[in-house]
Amino acid sequence: MNESWERSKGYLLFKWKEYGVGYLFVLPWMIGFAAFVAFPIGWSLYNSFHKIGITAEGFQYTWVGLDNYRRMLFENNAYPIMLVQYFMETIMIIPLILIFSFLVALLLNQKFPGRMLMRTVFFLPVIFATGQVITELFVQGAGELPFLEDYNIEQLSEQLFNETVGTAVINVLGKAVIILWYSGVQILIFIAGFQTIPKTLYEAIRVDGASPWESFWKITFPGMIPFMGLNAVYTIVDMFTFPFNPILEAVSRNMFAPTTGYGYASAMAWLYFLLVLVLIGISLGISFRAAKGGGRS
Amino acid sequence: MKTEKAVQHTLRQLRAEMTSTLYSRRTQKIKKHVLGQNFIDGWLAKIGMLLLLTIIAFLYLKPMIYMISTSLKSLEDLIDPVVGFIPRSANWQNFADAWRGLVYPEAFGDTLLLASIGSILQVASCSLTGYALARLQFPGKNLIFFFVIVTFLIPPQLTIVPLYQIYHELQLLNTPYVIFIPAALSQGVRGALFIIIFRQFFLSQPKALEEAAKIDGASIFRLYIRIMLPLAGAACLVVFLFSFIWYWNMYYEATLFLSKDFSPLSIRLQSFEAMLIGNQALNFSPEGPSDPVSEGPRMAAAFMIILPPLIVYMFAQRWFTEGIERTGMVE
Repeated sequence: MNESWERSKGYLLFKWKEYGVGYLFVLPWMIGFAAFVAFPIGWSLYNSFHKIGITAEGFQYTWVGLDNYRRMLFENNAYPIMLVQYFMETIMIIPLILIFSFLVALLLNQKFPGRMLMRTVFFLPVIFATGQVITELFVQGAGELPFLEDYNIEQLSEQLFNETVGTAVINVLGKAVIILWYSGVQILIFIAGFQTIPKTLYEAIRVDGASPWESFWKITFPGMIPFMGLNAVYTIVDMFTFPFNPILEAVSRNMFAPTTGYGYASAMAWLYFLLVLVLIGISLGISFRAAKGGGRS
Repeated sequence: MKTEKAVQHTLRQLRAEMTSTLYSRRTQKIKKHVLGQNFIDGWLAKIGMLLLLTIIAFLYLKPMIYMISTSLKSLEDLIDPVVGFIPRSANWQNFADAWRGLVYPEAFGDTLLLASIGSILQVASCSLTGYALARLQFPGKNLIFFFVIVTFLIPPQLTIVPLYQIYHELQLLNTPYVIFIPAALSQGVRGALFIIIFRQFFLSQPKALEEAAKIDGASIFRLYIRIMLPLAGAACLVVFLFSFIWYWNMYYEATLFLSKDFSPLSIRLQSFEAMLIGNQALNFSPEGPSDPVSEGPRMAAAFMIILPPLIVYMFAQRWFTEGIERTGMVE
């Protein structure tokens, strides 16, 4: 009896030593998470329900409840319009980037001379896509697709859609090239994804007499659906710090504005975060559904 | 006689058939090369693909070409509509202006310090976390991994206001520590992504090495520093390079935390721009700063900012493009 107790104590001590090492390894991350993620998120939620005045002694919090949200949504209704506009643009940008990077990855996956050079070219924008540099180029109109003006697309989209959607379409088209610059990582993910499909599968379907067209739709495309989901999420995350993201500027502008301040800015950020969560949920849901449906058939 | 004739006839027939098949073999071979066995791997398709890619690549790189050409143009060339992409003569005055406007040597030093130390700290901290998540056993590991992914999905807009308040209280604003401290605690730029890369890398390594080292009595720390980290050289390099580039290009956090005194190049571009526009306050247009007088220097400044990462990419491009596949982020 006593002996077994000793033994289990020893075992526990041994286990604890093992666990302790593990916790020691993740300790820096835990401290960082607490200090730079969890605590700021909590504080920002707290902020968003307060009006914050800056006095000589420091910050002064006054509880205002949901007033910041009410003001943001109903009084200064510029922000909700901006949000809707931006999310519409994002929803257009995601398929644009996904299709573009998928096509380019498909082409780059074939064997032809100069393939590595092309890969280098398409990854290049990741290297220099600095916010300020891109804004600079955009102001000069360098990011437009060359055929936009020639074909009078602007008027066409105004005729086809209502005003809000039309503006979003024009916004997206006006910086199409720069948006496509944000597909470097996605192209690489797709290329890596192609390698996960075994070659024998293609051989088998070819022996069975399928054309390349069929083998693309029956094998390549269903195999790529999880990577589409991954890329969609990556694109959404990439859009957080997209230089044309108006939310970035709006939050920092309202931080220092005399009538709004930190509390109002935090409320803005929270609304944005909730919408982003919904978007991520939808794109993951779609890709999960599609992957499951592909497996069944 | 009759049989002989018949044999000759069949022989002739056979020969004709053979030449025809030989002939058709040759055409088939050519056809196979041009069109391919099933179109995709033939020359025709390859040339078409290359052409298509070249066109896309040109469209893709046009803003870049525009930037370089504008930075080399003099004012006369910029105003003259006859001058297209190639300036009449290379004009280095823009670069001289931008050099002075950005305070380039100082700004370059600041940015380099920020990016290199930040990246080294990130490699150190993220590899530690990634290793623990891949190999060590402790309760709550999956929960921690879940939270790592969650941190990746949280927009910086959400935490930027409280972080500003924290840094303000700690008097850390406008010092490089606003970058170094989160990096050392694996919460730097895209730290979560780097943790995932390291985790996948360590997961793909054979377990035997660690077991051998454990039997020989090495502690986990020694094992990690002596064996696992050197093994992960490729992953470390990839993470370092990506982190370096992302720190170099970091803009949003920098505008708030590093707006004065110690500011990286991207922030200086902003103030340089403001200076240029301020000089021509008279012809300021509501459409934004697109007057030709300041266009040259601004493009030169932008080019000077992206030049260092471009050089890094030139030497290390293999690591960038193969890095994501090699570390197996895609699983």
